[in-house]
Amino acid sequence: MRERVFAEARFLILTALGLAVFPFLFNLVGGYSGLATQILMVGIAATGFNLLLGYAGVLSYGHAMFYGIGGYAAALMVLKFMPTTANLWLTLLFAIVVVAIQALLIGALAIRTYGIYFALITLAFAQMFYFIMFEWRDLTNGDNGLNNIVPPPIGSLSLTAPLPQLNLGPFGDLSQIHYWYPFTAIIVLLVLWFSRFLVASQFGEVLAAIRENEERSEFVGFSPAKYKLAAFVISGMLAGLAGALRALYDGSVAVDTLTIEQSGNFVVYTIIGGVKTLFGPLIGSALVMYLANVVSAKTEAWRLIEGLIFVAVIVFLPGGVVGSFARGSRFDFSRILRLR
Amino acid sequence: MEAVAIQLFDGTIRGLIYVAIALSLTIIFGMLRLVNFAHGAFFAVGAYVALLLAPKIGYYASIPAALIVLAILALLLDRIVLRLFYAKDPTSQILVTFGIALVIQESLRLIFGGTTQTTQMPASLMQSIPLGFISYPAIRLFVAVSIIVLVGVVWWILVGTNYGLIVRAGIRDRTMVALLGGNVTVASRVVLVVGAGIAGLVGALSSPIFGVDPNVGFSFLVPAFVVVVIGGLGSFWGAVIAGIFIGILQGLTTLVMPAASDVVIYLAMALILLVRPQGLMGESELIRQA
Repeated sequence: MRERVFAEARFLILTALGLAVFPFLFNLVGGYSGLATQILMVGIAATGFNLLLGYAGVLSYGHAMFYGIGGYAAALMVLKFMPTTANLWLTLLFAIVVVAIQALLIGALAIRTYGIYFALITLAFAQMFYFIMFEWRDLTNGDNGLNNIVPPPIGSLSLTAPLPQLNLGPFGDLSQIHYWYPFTAIIVLLVLWFSRFLVASQFGEVLAAIRENEERSEFVGFSPAKYKLAAFVISGMLAGLAGALRALYDGSVAVDTLTIEQSGNFVVYTIIGGVKTLFGPLIGSALVMYLANVVSAKTEAWRLIEGLIFVAVIVFLPGGVVGSFARGSRFDFSRILRLR
Repeated sequence: MEAVAIQLFDGTIRGLIYVAIALSLTIIFGMLRLVNFAHGAFFAVGAYVALLLAPKIGYYASIPAALIVLAILALLLDRIVLRLFYAKDPTSQILVTFGIALVIQESLRLIFGGTTQTTQMPASLMQSIPLGFISYPAIRLFVAVSIIVLVGVVWWILVGTNYGLIVRAGIRDRTMVALLGGNVTVASRVVLVVGAGIAGLVGALSSPIFGVDPNVGFSFLVPAFVVVVIGGLGSFWGAVIAGIFIGILQGLTTLVMPAASDVVIYLAMALILLVRPQGLMGESELIRQA
């Protein structure tokens, strides 16, 4: 019991430390704190996606539908439903609840199918939401999207306000960071903790059993459909939360959050970072979004390079960057680098 | 009444294109257990082949050219990457074909730019043909007739030849076919190459109507997936019926409520899934294996 508490404390402290130093180290390599905040937000969605793909073994090719609808729900809450009394927690809660219902309905239909079929169906549903939000102009402004979203403050603290001034030499100045970053970092910490807990729980073990052999787990007495549906809804809710945060942070949300490319992004981030690893999706998001930011400033060929990296990772590093550090994988970096 | 007739025709032609793409997807899936996300990119490459070659060798000749280019491309892709993935889980296959699609699409964008261009067509196809009470563009009729012929040829190969026999049997049970002495590996290659060729051919064929841009393939690929889901994976007639149904449904919705014409096909898919998760003519056993 004591060891358990110890392990949890160690996990939380180390992760919190990592999140705290990230924007400063990021400055050294040409990143900036705004991008760091966006990375964390998208990382939440990728972490949710990984819960489904990595641990339940279910590939959704439509996670943009949760990300986008979460964003729209938050935006509408702030702009139309409660414009005068907007509350951050209520807004986020609303977005998550909307997405949970959406995921429950779609999941109930889609979960009755398997593998490839499931991917195709989620892809098609995501496309459906894209067209609904595109055409429902009264609500969504169609092509232009919803703009001028002011994030509700927490008490009297505005998230867009900068942290106090403090010169940190090569790491930049503390005031370059807005309160958005620590706020998002705390949410990420909680999401990672939750996802660690979930994977280690009985629920996570049943999911793993279903992933390895669905029929057998059914014979043992578990209902695979229920477990997979639960995983789908949880995974969707995290994507919805990420979308809501992103909409509030950007101050706008448009239909590009609902595209196939966006769904593909979550897949790419998770695979490059490392599927079935806790930190992989977050690290994958950081790597790809950082590279996109740096490389796309220099050449138009960024998306092509991204595609080539993606194919190379699938062919040569099926465990992704993080997964390849794991013992026994084909590209065991820690062994190659003689770290052990 | 005229408007209804025109939408019916337009819808049927869209539907026929869906049918051709869904058919090649579903046969590739049946034989190789590979869902090809790069199929839309193949379609786009075919459209670009027609765009580039039509001014030089003419629109008609550019269509078989697209088929050949895509067949070679598929053969190369198979040699370089795809063959590594046949034995892997469907998820990795989807991911690698998605990656290939990304690479092809972005290469097209870099080379030709993102703007929509239109393939030149012969003057004889630019006129309208009177059909009783409406007159209808000749190019659209040409595309429709060509796809019907194409689907007929595919049907004939599947049912009337020994190759087709191996493919049809392979869709049901690969191992058994191999045990009985059928060369499944070669048949799989042929199916992949012909399937990619069909995507390219249809891309070239329809490029004067729908225009050519790097994303053109995706706008047909996703509805084609819906057709495969509705019709049932691995089913020939399922794809044909579902494709035409979806096309006409889309056409008629345009008439009543244009804004809903893209949404309606996904609603139809949801409804059909509710009643028949395996699709109209799919076999649940095949889906379980997927």
